[in-house]
Amino acid sequence: MSFLAPLFLAGAAAAALPIVLHLLKREPEARIKFAAVKLLKQAPVEHTEKRHIRELLLLALRVGALVLLAFAFARPFFPSRASASAGGVTVVALDTSFSLAAPGRFERAQQLARDAVAGAPAGDLVGLVTFSDTADIAVKPSADRVLATGAIDQAAAGFGGTRYRAALSAATQAAGGRSSTVVVVTDLQESGWDAGDRVSVPDGTRISVVDVGAPPPNLAVTGVRPQPDRVIATVHNASARATDARVHLTIDNRQVADATISLGPNQSSDVQLAAAPRGESMAVTVDDPAGIRADNIRYAVLGGTVKPTVLVVSGSGDLSRDAFYVQQALSVGAGPSGGYQPIGMSGARLTAAGDDRLGTHAAVLLLSTRGLERRGRETLAAYVQAGGGILIAAGPDVDGDVVRDVLGGSSALQMAAPTDMKREVRALAPADVRHPVFTAFAGNSGSLGLVTFTRVARIGGSACQTLARFTTGDVALAECPAGEGRALMLASDLDNRWNDFPLHATFVPFLHEVVRYVASARAHTSDYVVADAPAGVPRQPGIATVPGGKPGVPPRRIAVNVDPRESDPARLSADDFQSAVTRLKDAAPSEARIEAREQEDRQHMWQFLILAMVLMLVVEGVVASRTA
Amino acid sequence: MPWAPTERPFLDPAVVARLGTLELKARTIVEGFLTGLHRSPFKGFSVEFAEYRQYIPGDDLSTIDWKVYARSDRYYVKKFEEETNLDCHLLLDVSGSMAYGSHHSLSKFEYAACLAASLGYLMNRQRDSVGLTAFDEDIVAMLPASSRPGHLRSLLVTLDRLQTAHKTNVAKPLHQLADTLTKRGLVVLISDLLDDPTEIIRGLKHFQFRGIDVIVFHILDPDEIDFPFDRATRFEDLETSEEVMAVPGAVRDHYVKEMGDLIDRYRRELGASGIDYQLLNTKHPLEMALLSYLSTRARAL
Repeated sequence: MSFLAPLFLAGAAAAALPIVLHLLKREPEARIKFAAVKLLKQAPVEHTEKRHIRELLLLALRVGALVLLAFAFARPFFPSRASASAGGVTVVALDTSFSLAAPGRFERAQQLARDAVAGAPAGDLVGLVTFSDTADIAVKPSADRVLATGAIDQAAAGFGGTRYRAALSAATQAAGGRSSTVVVVTDLQESGWDAGDRVSVPDGTRISVVDVGAPPPNLAVTGVRPQPDRVIATVHNASARATDARVHLTIDNRQVADATISLGPNQSSDVQLAAAPRGESMAVTVDDPAGIRADNIRYAVLGGTVKPTVLVVSGSGDLSRDAFYVQQALSVGAGPSGGYQPIGMSGARLTAAGDDRLGTHAAVLLLSTRGLERRGRETLAAYVQAGGGILIAAGPDVDGDVVRDVLGGSSALQMAAPTDMKREVRALAPADVRHPVFTAFAGNSGSLGLVTFTRVARIGGSACQTLARFTTGDVALAECPAGEGRALMLASDLDNRWNDFPLHATFVPFLHEVVRYVASARAHTSDYVVADAPAGVPRQPGIATVPGGKPGVPPRRIAVNVDPRESDPARLSADDFQSAVTRLKDAAPSEARIEAREQEDRQHMWQFLILAMVLMLVVEGVVASRTA
Repeated sequence: MPWAPTERPFLDPAVVARLGTLELKARTIVEGFLTGLHRSPFKGFSVEFAEYRQYIPGDDLSTIDWKVYARSDRYYVKKFEEETNLDCHLLLDVSGSMAYGSHHSLSKFEYAACLAASLGYLMNRQRDSVGLTAFDEDIVAMLPASSRPGHLRSLLVTLDRLQTAHKTNVAKPLHQLADTLTKRGLVVLISDLLDDPTEIIRGLKHFQFRGIDVIVFHILDPDEIDFPFDRATRFEDLETSEEVMAVPGAVRDHYVKEMGDLIDRYRRELGASGIDYQLLNTKHPLEMALLSYLSTRARAL
């Protein structure tokens, strides 16, 4: 038995208290010389032995209750057989990334893993961790090696990428702070370590790398870009030999185009597939039966290539007149994830139209509250509460009361017109450059200070977080709570009226980052890798549908593809692998404590001890009442 | 005259215990007792004139000296020295069990000795012959009955010298004494009677058979009656040193019942035999015993 808080066992010394009291308070045996002893002898004398036994029982019960209490506070638990083993632990970490899915590769990895299990020192407990993007403890360390071998036989290569960090963390956790050897069975892909990635393991943990071998020559479709009249696919040849390959285009499960591509050694090339991408989804496939199969195909959702729309609420709804700079700034950008499609709408029209299509917009820019009546405010408020993003530019056309209605009372937003403020020139300075809005300006956030603000509104609120301030100390950009959505408020306009922000180069990236941030509360991308697939979507490549979840949020189709980095054949050496591992001296006790705490949490022995103590006290009460 | 605690006319044994000598104790008890009586319970019949005393309402008219009245026109009564032929024997138990005494009272032996001294004093004052026999399992001291004035001192000295020590055998000395007494009189047994009641009663009936009146003063300590102990205690017999470990709470009821049964048996069987039985609690005044004695003496004369 072990204890989580053994210091409390010192409390068991309190068990001596009843004994000491018993000894201190023990009166010398009363002895009386008496005349009528003869009459006493005839009485049914209560045998003192019985009483003595009862008193001893009482003492034992009281001592026992205190001891149980001390034990309960010490949080006892029975260490699992695995934990109790005096020997070491060998954890085999088996790579199940799709780079091992080439014919015969995973079988070799399994055999190496079985060999590692068989070669573990006698007396060692053996566990198994399978890993790709994430790692699972398939078999906790135990003396039964058949379990580990069986789990290896059951394992299969999946569609994830290689992540050594996850593997080593899971193996360390499985070892539970004991002296361990981690045998990593992998193909040593360089992409398994992210840039600057390091992992810490407890000091004394030995890491052994078993190399499955270099991947075979492989062709992979690493990208598809639908164009109005054709589809461009990027194919990578991961081999030392030039090769020709056939590429096929399938739209809505119908093969519509083929092409042949010639690829040089370790070269990527685009191939144009002559078919207009009209439909819901498409897939581009390359013939590569001898290589890795999972990366031979890449899916795309055709509807998802349209730029996300941003609703810009202005005075008249005519963006070219009311919000020219915003319209131009949002429109720039290339590719499926670059740029937004601004849609102008007046407050009056929003009030009249209601919320029929508001949920389809990635974000809302509120530049004017003119004509935004109660229904329009409620529409915007519902949009934000449901997870929509909104940017409010507190310019001359924005009324603070309307904004308060839109954001709801929880934000406690205060917004004052700039009439009572002095006209002075201000610059903007981020209060927290780590905020996602300013990450694009990392190391160059000072460029935002070139913007001159001549007039600003006074914004703020007890629940709002200040992201940027003016040089006068006033709040320039604040984020306020708004249900499940995100709401940012800029204390000036975005149309070159109170400031010259649109004239600066920082305007476009700033606006994009702000929109990206407020829109990120709702997922709008349609292209995912397996590791990042939304919850509920199978972790395998293909076209999937993500339910809307909430009223007003329509279901959407997404394409799930394998991580193209996994197709990169670049490999590490075992030494390179080891160099990314840091050994921490204090990590082992910490892991052991965590393991002990988990075991104690599972067993809850302290509850039984407290129950036993209560029962003892009840019995003590009964016995005491009879002894008194 | 029943004694009621609220009236408290008699000396508390605790007060008596603080008095110096046995003689002083006896005198204090008897004189106080006699002074407290409203009317003399005994009449003096003697040829020896003692004194004249002015008549007090309630005095027997036959005692008025009419000659004195004729001379002085006042009523005087003639007082005579009392003189009787009563032989009284005090039988005092000095066995080990009599040594018991709770802290708030005289020991049974001290109480019994005081009682014997008081009775001796009273008897001697009334010119009765008084003797003393102390016994445990045998007769340990014996003073023949006499009414001489100096006999009281001998009695008191003998009482002073007595000590408790041995086992009890009440019946044996009773029979011995009954066989030696030739003259009818009065026997006063002062004992805790913690012996075989059958044998004791048989011994007392032996006196009855010889025409001797008997008064039994059953001396018990309040502890022996109420058994007020509360802790588990090892009780050691004062005579046999035998030990019994008992928890008073558990045995009290049985003990009190046993003691009550014993007392009832003495009271019932002795009363049936015409033997006066008086239970004396050592915390109760000694005068109760004197009253009982005088009542029996009056019947004996």
